[in-house]
Amino acid sequence: MRAPLIAAAIAAVFGFGAGVSQAADYPSKEIQGIIQWGAGGSTDTVMRAVTPKAEDVLGGSIVLQNVTGGVGAIGLNQVANSDADGYTLLMGAENPLLYKVMGLGQKDYSDFVPINILARGTPILVARPDAPYDDYASMMAYIKQHPNEVKFGSTGPGGVPSVVTAMIENVEGKLPVTFVPYDGDGPALTALQGKAIDVMPAVLGAAIEGVKAGKMKPIAVFSTDKVEQLPDVKPITEADEKYGKFLPWGPFFGIFAPKGTPDDAVATLQDAFKQAADQDSFKQLMDNRGFILMNVSGKEAEDFMAKWQSNTTWLLQDAGLTKKSPEEFGIAKP
Amino acid sequence: METLAAFFTVWADPKLFALVAVGTFAGIYIGAIPGLSVTMAVSILISFTFSWDVNPAIALMIGIFMGGVYGGSRTAILLNIPGAPSAIATALDGYPMAQRGEAGEAIGITTVMSFIGGFAGIIVLAVAAPVVSDFALSFQPRDYMLLAVLGLLLVGSLASGSLVKGIFAGALGLMLGTVGMDPLTFTERFTFEIPLLQSGISFIAVMIGLFGVSEALTQLHQIDKAAVRQSIDRIVPSWSTVRKHLPLSMQTSAIGVFIGALPGTGGDIAALLAYDHAKRVTRNPERAFGDGAIEGLVAPETANNAAVGGAFIPMMTLGIPGDAVTAIMIGALFIHGLNPGPMLMVEKPDMFWFIVGALVLANFCMLLFGLTGIRLFVKIVEMPRAVMVPLILLLSVVGAYAVNNSITDVYWMLGFGVFGYFLKLYGYPLGPIILGVILSRLLDDNWRRAIISERESLPAFFHGLVTSPLSLVLFLSVIFIFVSQTPLWKRWRRGRTGPARPPAEPGEPEDATLS
Repeated sequence: MRAPLIAAAIAAVFGFGAGVSQAADYPSKEIQGIIQWGAGGSTDTVMRAVTPKAEDVLGGSIVLQNVTGGVGAIGLNQVANSDADGYTLLMGAENPLLYKVMGLGQKDYSDFVPINILARGTPILVARPDAPYDDYASMMAYIKQHPNEVKFGSTGPGGVPSVVTAMIENVEGKLPVTFVPYDGDGPALTALQGKAIDVMPAVLGAAIEGVKAGKMKPIAVFSTDKVEQLPDVKPITEADEKYGKFLPWGPFFGIFAPKGTPDDAVATLQDAFKQAADQDSFKQLMDNRGFILMNVSGKEAEDFMAKWQSNTTWLLQDAGLTKKSPEEFGIAKP
Repeated sequence: METLAAFFTVWADPKLFALVAVGTFAGIYIGAIPGLSVTMAVSILISFTFSWDVNPAIALMIGIFMGGVYGGSRTAILLNIPGAPSAIATALDGYPMAQRGEAGEAIGITTVMSFIGGFAGIIVLAVAAPVVSDFALSFQPRDYMLLAVLGLLLVGSLASGSLVKGIFAGALGLMLGTVGMDPLTFTERFTFEIPLLQSGISFIAVMIGLFGVSEALTQLHQIDKAAVRQSIDRIVPSWSTVRKHLPLSMQTSAIGVFIGALPGTGGDIAALLAYDHAKRVTRNPERAFGDGAIEGLVAPETANNAAVGGAFIPMMTLGIPGDAVTAIMIGALFIHGLNPGPMLMVEKPDMFWFIVGALVLANFCMLLFGLTGIRLFVKIVEMPRAVMVPLILLLSVVGAYAVNNSITDVYWMLGFGVFGYFLKLYGYPLGPIILGVILSRLLDDNWRRAIISERESLPAFFHGLVTSPLSLVLFLSVIFIFVSQTPLWKRWRRGRTGPARPPAEPGEPEDATLS
């Protein structure tokens, strides 16, 4: 009876001791940063741009690694299953908030503490330059006159195009168009320039340069105001005010630690990434790529994600794109 | 004048010059180790060079890119483990040469041909980038699909001996490539609800297993046989050898540049298509393909290095990546405050010429570093098998692990290694399996896109096929290549050209190490 007791006491003392020393000199070893998406993607670029400065502030190194697959679920699960000691971070995008309703996994960001939500994107609807319509109204008229003829690019259920399409269908009713699947908005926009598809809902940043050069025709931005990068493009609410209820909406990038990570480690990380996202070169990068800098953490980040998840999952549910109802997971209807 | 200044920036600045050289040198070794890829190295460099100026960062990346594509051939020739997928075709004839004691010659010709191919790619990039990128952009899903079919017909080239076994192997590869979550619809295929299979079977792990481990196991059969003495007097190929293969190298470079410029296809497919092309146009090789034909090295090595210049074409003219490495470089340009896109060449022509200049320098560095130290490298093949076999196994395990830092990949790799050993034992060619895995997604995704675009109507699909000139040409090539491999056609040709020489086929099965 005594031996286990002593062992427990020793363990408690040492465990406590370890906890204290960790708090004092976190980080005392290198931190693993797991990027959910592949090398060269926008999540990858953003994370690799923000990390060096955070390393400076932390005075330690963050080793970045791409763990891809399963729409990012493989990387997410790896971090969720690692020790919550502040030495494994998830560098992800918005997708995990849809995993549950899409049947892609049991875990999402509710199993994590947000360190920083860095930025969010704005969707834009672009068409090939010789398309016989110039704005939202004429595009809709054309689609209705030529059922199933217009080809929309898509990137699978849960991707930005699927959500934007769900918004349009929510406002306009079922769209009589043909959806051609691509594995990302980059390849789809390439196909648009090669005339393999006619219209693509994409993230602003991916389309800016093509629009400026006249290789793509902008139809509308999915925001309530004009965006400064493309001041001539009309916001979608100008065409139809009903879109206002979904906006602002956009994909986002964030850094997360598994739930249970010591508070002081979280605070140290939050401070480091806040400073990193605040530097001018990072702001400039976000601006060039058409992202809106958010740089939020804590309660603000959690509220943002809760609202995002509620809006998006119910939108997809109403469009019939989900595998399970958000209700099953206690996601409130907006 | 300004163009010239931009072109020579990298040559005039000692720091930039050194960065390209260091990058190329490192690239050769990164490329040579299976599992370490150029894509990985360049993406690590994004963080590493974050605080640098844009020019040095790009200079270093270009060096690694050029060196890495070439480096894959090293282990392919010496150990039969391609360092990168683009060196698969190189192993087919390079390794048999090494086994005959001609490793030095094989590396020499590979280096010179990589240099020629690299140059051809850069020249096309410099003079014809806008034209090529417009043409590449006009490829529809239908055309990509036909390209994949064209690639599949390579099974005929890779299957020495039994065509039936080759087709079986190719089909197996195609199926392996579909395992996992479908990237277009996120539907699971062949996963049997096992989470492990969700992200698919790592293609690199399959490649390392089938080539490396099965080779090591095969060598155990002759563990006590002395290794072949390597001849090292003919390393730098003579001018007459180079001149003899110049016409072929120009053709295969053209294939390489173009396949490299197509978004979505890269050096691996370019090298395999070039190999097939060489096999078809070479009238009588000194040695049979698959048995150490020089042409079998010339074709893939010119093509994969030409594909480097090709990959920059859509990147510089449109901001569209030509392959995975240029995708990361586009990210790097963004980070350094440039906006890669259709306007880049108009607004910042200096950047374009700087990159061209750096590519030329990297190409020369590759030639220099490639040709030095060969004597040392060929010694690897002279090692006793008792050292060699564990070395191959070790390299295979490390390589498979390095791809995703995943132990699962090591298990896949070992499993495919043992499987490959038995396939080899029963005379099944392994090349077509890899071919199938490489082409699986290209074929599958684009077939679906093509038929969905035609609203799932087969007549409309064929109408499109024969009315688009590009599709028609590709379609006719597919038919021609198919027909030209049938016994009927061969008999007709023989009848026309009189009694032909015996067909050049690889020798006895035990010599056919890979294919």
